[in-house]
Amino acid sequence: MSPNKVKSEMSDPVLVIGAGVAGLTVAVELADSGVETVLVDRETSVGGNALNLYKAFPTDDCFYCFESNRSRPGIRKCFYRSALLDQPNIDLRVDTEIEELNGEPGSFEIRLKQGPQYVDPKKCTMCGACTELSDAFSLLSPQCQPQSVIFNPEKEDEGSSKAEEECPTGAIDLNAESTETTLTVSDIVIATGYQEMKPNQIDEYGYGQYSNVITQLELAKTLDPNGPSHGALVRPSDGAQVRRLLMVQCVGSRDENYHPFCSKICCVFALKHANIIRRERNGTDVSVVYMDIRTYDRHERYYREAREAGVEFTRGRVSEVTPLEDGTLDITLYDSLLDKYFKTNVDLLVLSSALEPSTGMTKMIEELGLESASGYVSPANLLDTEVVAGDHVYACGGAIGPAEVPESVTQARAVASKILQERM
Amino acid sequence: MAKTEEKTVPPVTLVDPIELSELDRDFREEIHSMPNGEELGACFACSTCTAACPIANSWDYKPHQLVRMILLGMRKEVLASDEIWLCLTCFECQERCPQNVRVTDILFDCKNLAAEEGRIPPNVAELGKELVEQGQLYVITADWEREDLGLEPSLPGLQTEEVRNMLKKSRTGRMLGEDD
Repeated sequence: MSPNKVKSEMSDPVLVIGAGVAGLTVAVELADSGVETVLVDRETSVGGNALNLYKAFPTDDCFYCFESNRSRPGIRKCFYRSALLDQPNIDLRVDTEIEELNGEPGSFEIRLKQGPQYVDPKKCTMCGACTELSDAFSLLSPQCQPQSVIFNPEKEDEGSSKAEEECPTGAIDLNAESTETTLTVSDIVIATGYQEMKPNQIDEYGYGQYSNVITQLELAKTLDPNGPSHGALVRPSDGAQVRRLLMVQCVGSRDENYHPFCSKICCVFALKHANIIRRERNGTDVSVVYMDIRTYDRHERYYREAREAGVEFTRGRVSEVTPLEDGTLDITLYDSLLDKYFKTNVDLLVLSSALEPSTGMTKMIEELGLESASGYVSPANLLDTEVVAGDHVYACGGAIGPAEVPESVTQARAVASKILQERM
Repeated sequence: MAKTEEKTVPPVTLVDPIELSELDRDFREEIHSMPNGEELGACFACSTCTAACPIANSWDYKPHQLVRMILLGMRKEVLASDEIWLCLTCFECQERCPQNVRVTDILFDCKNLAAEEGRIPPNVAELGKELVEQGQLYVITADWEREDLGLEPSLPGLQTEEVRNMLKKSRTGRMLGEDD
């Protein structure tokens, strides 16, 4: 069937909620097949969790570039730019939230609210004139999409209006306001992904109290060459080089008081980070405290490589974290294999915190009349396929539960093929 | 050539294994059937309780090992252990347990079971006896400090009669009180 014919038979677009790995994949696959797609994300740039990662397992490629799809071959070709810029069937709306969901399956009424678009991404050339004049303008990431600077009204200063006047392409409008649009869509794809739990409530680790206690995704940001420290492994408290680092697994995961499920990918990305630190950041000691290491499937190699790279493993739990005046942390831990208590001093404590559904998921599940599985979207029929959540409602990637990139992409393609089959 | 004599001694064993069939397999069910034992079977031996325990460093059996022992049916060893009595009942283990196993409460149950078998450490027994006979744990003695502070020699209006009567009829009274 030719793409043109599919297009002629369709009246309503498909709404894809969330522009992370899964959402982008669905949008691009559908758009390439001639289906008009509205892709919304509440953030100012697409990419989701991927935007803050340095390398992605299982390929260890830079996360901004991975093999996209059949019509866009080439492993190092940037998915975001190539697809989102040259595919007219994608209507990308960042900084946008869903205000209301009404209507019937096959014809949903959606009201979208888009925040003020101070900078027009179609005009912005990222020349840097405004960022030099005012701190309110910044570039989120060199790989951001839309390719445009962003304006933070809370940081507005005298230079802001000057920048507005002097912008060579006239892309800046400081008086921009929020806009609301209503549209009818035939199908909804939930690709809202996961977020990392902030383990403030788990007293013994002192997260939120001591600045040198961070989570794995915060560590990923630190290791990212595009991040605030340009990839140097430094302490948040004073920017000093990290010499010793301790990771703790299962923080809030497999814990009836927080999230009863295993977050599935934290062991793998914790070890990925441990390997990056051991191999690319010389002189840093890494220890991992775990209760079970679950590098499922083909990811066992990360565990083996970590042992080879000299990462220390302790089966046990942390007893106590005591901050010292020099910014280091004294950590008492119990080793359940040796039946001994150990004390160590580290610069950085990294918590592999549970991965939970994105904020607003419960409300969305309720409004669409779906089933919840520990807060994530549950498949309508487990025996059939995991990506169909309800009538004309699909879910993929982190919206179904913690997922790695290949799984998210596979599920996203399954959603695209399901929607295309419906329309034949 | 001297003839080598055949050895008649039993072979040396390197390990001294515990014979599972000799353990009390009902012990697990016994604890499990108590209100506090509901989540006992959920323990996955992560040792969070032992990491949380402020005094387990000096214990022969760590908290998570005691739970394992209960699950295996090592009734004798658990009920005869000093650890169940050394527990400070600070509830830190129970608070942190990721599977909601009520570790501290289960140790309370073990203390009760041990007591019923007459296994009560002398210091605890002494305290219990004091409570049953005096109706209070700390008997105030008339001393110069109270006098200096202008206090009466004994606590005014303190009635221990009812407490004594109640305790006499309780299990504590039966086990520790003087035989009438």
